[in-house]
Amino acid sequence: MTRIKFPSGMALNFYGGIKTATIDLKSISLSYGNKGTSHKALSDVNLSIGNGEFISLIGPSGCGKSTIIDITSGLRPPSEGVILLDGAQVKGPGTDCGTVFQDYSLFPWMTTFENVCFAIEHSKKAGTHKDIEKMAQKFLDLVGLGKFKDVYPNTLSGGMRQRASIARIFSMGPKVFLMDEPFGALDSLNRIYMQDLLLHLWSEGDQRKTVLFVTHDVDEALLLSDRIAIMTPSPGSIKEVVEVPFSRPRHRKDLSIDPNYLALKSHLLSILYGEMVEEIEKQEKELEGFV
Amino acid sequence: MSENSFRVGTVTGRISMISKNSLRAGTVFAILLATLILTVAFPDSPEQMVNDNSVFVAFIFLLMIAYGAKLYLNHEKIVSTTDIFLIISLGLFLWELLLGKFALLDSFIFPAPAKVFMVFQTDTKQMANGIVSSLEILLAGYSLALVFAIPIGLYAGWKKRLFDIIYPIAKTVSPIPATVYLPYSIVLLPTFRSSSIFLIFIGAFWPILVGCVYGVFSADSRLINSARILGLSDYQMIRRILLPAALPSIFSGAMIALILSFITLTVAEMIAATSGLGWYIQYYHQFANYYNVIAGMILMIVVVIGIMNVFDRVQKHFLRWHPVHGEGGGPTFSS
Repeated sequence: MTRIKFPSGMALNFYGGIKTATIDLKSISLSYGNKGTSHKALSDVNLSIGNGEFISLIGPSGCGKSTIIDITSGLRPPSEGVILLDGAQVKGPGTDCGTVFQDYSLFPWMTTFENVCFAIEHSKKAGTHKDIEKMAQKFLDLVGLGKFKDVYPNTLSGGMRQRASIARIFSMGPKVFLMDEPFGALDSLNRIYMQDLLLHLWSEGDQRKTVLFVTHDVDEALLLSDRIAIMTPSPGSIKEVVEVPFSRPRHRKDLSIDPNYLALKSHLLSILYGEMVEEIEKQEKELEGFV
Repeated sequence: MSENSFRVGTVTGRISMISKNSLRAGTVFAILLATLILTVAFPDSPEQMVNDNSVFVAFIFLLMIAYGAKLYLNHEKIVSTTDIFLIISLGLFLWELLLGKFALLDSFIFPAPAKVFMVFQTDTKQMANGIVSSLEILLAGYSLALVFAIPIGLYAGWKKRLFDIIYPIAKTVSPIPATVYLPYSIVLLPTFRSSSIFLIFIGAFWPILVGCVYGVFSADSRLINSARILGLSDYQMIRRILLPAALPSIFSGAMIALILSFITLTVAEMIAATSGLGWYIQYYHQFANYYNVIAGMILMIVVVIGIMNVFDRVQKHFLRWHPVHGEGGGPTFSS
């Protein structure tokens, strides 16, 4: 099996010391809607993520995975509970959290280069204009987009856009990474490439960054994470957190024949599908009530 | 055309496309040439006699040169260019043939093209003054509207409470024709110029405001979230994120505003001006000089085409990143 060779840039050492942080979600609840018809989206979510830990959130769509990313990044305040970033409460959005969304992290009116420069400039990690541009160029080279720095995102393919998004958040030097199904819209080959790129960038350097990664792909979660939190819908809550015991670096081929991997995968799937079947049955019963 | 572009890769396809295009181009030149010969070599109908047809002849030559230059410079839009020139040249040919030579319609109300085009020579100065005067008023009123409506619209779209007040008002007021304010603007403002500028400002202000407010309000919340994470100040948020995000909508509002401005200007000039394009048509209408009226109309059409052309270029430049308005159109790179 040939492994993709990524350029080694020691990107994260740009900032001298590498900072990371712990994330603590403490009894997070979220309800929305008017009085009377309020809908509970999240109920008592607790999750502690250690320094340099890679945690995946998996669950069926509509279970509130993305909402947890929104809350953790400070974009949306929870109805109850607190989020702690290194012990300090998160009160609003900030550059400590580098967030990647599915397909909307880049501003379409800026070229890839301008996008990265803009992010660096506002995360206040570099001083002069020249430093910013040099840094942006380096990060784009790192994800293989050096040649495409002057084009607008809509002329790039989905995979290239996500590479630019990854370059963008790594260049911001955040303490933690929040990723909301970043590879969900990509075809399977591109997804494999992006997973390897992410792991490569993440594991480079002495101190890994803390990552909260949302996905609905069990294989992806197993390949990337140290632990996997499984969510169940209505109201969204964490049903179970499992350890992923495989040593790093992980290789797809080795994993795919590892009996432990298969057992873990089937365990995760049974939880997910079990919930899904229950959910469908519940909906059918509600429908019968109407008829 | 679709079948041509389909086969464009093959040699035969390319040859057939070239020959088909040169056939079309030949048709344009042939019609223009026919019009020329018809004008010069055949006698006019007695009612439509003109003693000088040099300007019309010059115009036909000008069209030929313009079309030749287009063919030479712009290979991509060759088909649509050809179609437009085909319509213009066919129109000129029929005009000359049916009115100039056969005088099928009342020659007083429907003069021959040679007579109409003569006006461009005799009235050059008056027409040039008219264009300058009209454009000055138009640009002043329209720019004022842009300068006021865009910042207000951006801010109002961003602040929910302001949006709730301004958007319904703007939507209700914007369809009211600006000319309803004419009686008061004439009484209250000192000159025709200032009151026309005011009318155009009012007429253009609301559509731009609506476009702008709506553009900000409907901006993709995921992009806004992406920006909020960067901790931008209000000014940076508006300047770097909301303005570009709202730009497509601002341009569609500005387009409507431009059309309304031109209508407002023409109406105002017809009612109260002493110069300008609208005034020119109205003035000669009073003397029943229909060849002047038609010449005025042609001039106005040319000016409108010019303005719209500039608008399109500006829009294309500012929305060059946009998948629909911009150069691109979906991914062109992939790896």
